[in-house]
Amino acid sequence: MDERDILIQRFLDDDLTPKERAAFLQAVDADPLLRRRWLNLELVVAETAQLPRLAPSSRFVAQVLTQLAPAPISPWARLRAALTVPRTLEWNLAGAMAMVCVAVVAVVGLLRLAPDRIVEVPVPVAGSQAQTASLAPGQGAKVFVRFMLLQPGARSVSVAGDFNGWDPGQTKLEQSEGGVWTAMIALKPGRYQYMFVIDGKQWIPDPLAIDGAGDGFGAQNAVLDVAI
Amino acid sequence: MPIEHRGSSDEAKLIARSLAQDPDAFGQLVERYATVIVNLAYRMVGDRTEAEDLAQETFVAAFKSLPAFRAESKFSTWLYRIAANKCKDWLRAKRPGQAVHDVDGEDVLDDRVVEERTPERLLSQQQVAEQLGGAIQRLPPLYREAFVLKHVEGLSYEEMQEILGVKTDTLKMRVYKGRLQLSRELAELKEV
Repeated sequence: MDERDILIQRFLDDDLTPKERAAFLQAVDADPLLRRRWLNLELVVAETAQLPRLAPSSRFVAQVLTQLAPAPISPWARLRAALTVPRTLEWNLAGAMAMVCVAVVAVVGLLRLAPDRIVEVPVPVAGSQAQTASLAPGQGAKVFVRFMLLQPGARSVSVAGDFNGWDPGQTKLEQSEGGVWTAMIALKPGRYQYMFVIDGKQWIPDPLAIDGAGDGFGAQNAVLDVAI
Repeated sequence: MPIEHRGSSDEAKLIARSLAQDPDAFGQLVERYATVIVNLAYRMVGDRTEAEDLAQETFVAAFKSLPAFRAESKFSTWLYRIAANKCKDWLRAKRPGQAVHDVDGEDVLDDRVVEERTPERLLSQQQVAEQLGGAIQRLPPLYREAFVLKHVEGLSYEEMQEILGVKTDTLKMRVYKGRLQLSRELAELKEV
């Protein structure tokens, strides 16, 4: 491009000083060739400004947003989100009062029903004073009886008597601190004889039993009376 | 025609909401600039369907890189930059082996003096628009890019420099050469 071309381009860019602009217009007026060059370029600029503008398709925005949508989440993630998402409960006074009434009826009903299901029964402890325990009446009015023996040196202690067919393997006592062995079993009211079995072989009577009876073998069985 | 800079605070709020993953806010930004970006892409690649695809890719890329947008620059400038790069990548892919190279050092124009020719007849406005559109497509990509931003989008050379990262003197030369080529092609077409 020569100097005059550059001058025309600067004129089209509105990049001339007022003095330069005046000089250019005078030159254009005096020079038909320059004038033609300038008009051809002006035409390009003017025609370009009139080019039709495309309108994006009606779905353009929706299609862009679809591409931005987050990836689908797994059913487990969706379930976890549904269970843990904080929710706002909407309520009104009538609904709240209805819920309160339902709650009151439920609590009163439970209180009226529940005590009938509980029976206070004294629990005699073999060799000691009886202690109170609770049991359900549906179990044939049994009484819980606690057997206790102090035997620090024993490896195992069990109780055998009328109530378990004199089988020392059925009712084993548990050891606690200080060599105290205990077991709690439910017995129907009645009179029972029993003995403790030490290490599976040594049969001894309950040293704390109030009553006793001969066993027919020269030894003494402990006697327990269970009553409601 | 330049984009109206409608309320920078309004646009800043939309950008902030978009960053917070508000699709409605970004949808408003897309709606605001869709026409501009689609037209830029159309004038660059010459195909309406491709232009809309490239424009959509522009907005998707803009959304994904929104955290990197610097608030001190104009959102439109940033969009233009993404769109221009998308268009150049597309042109590069469509014409493998013909890189979008810098033509600034080359004199690709014919030095024929066409200003001596006078039009034999006047073309209709629609014919001129069609012919001019085709002629723009025949410009080398870098001239085309500069010419479209300057005369189709109505941007200043300073805005173009910010978008393209090219000095204004270089951009002016590209626009000048684009004008020259187009004026010669239009003059030839009028002669036919």
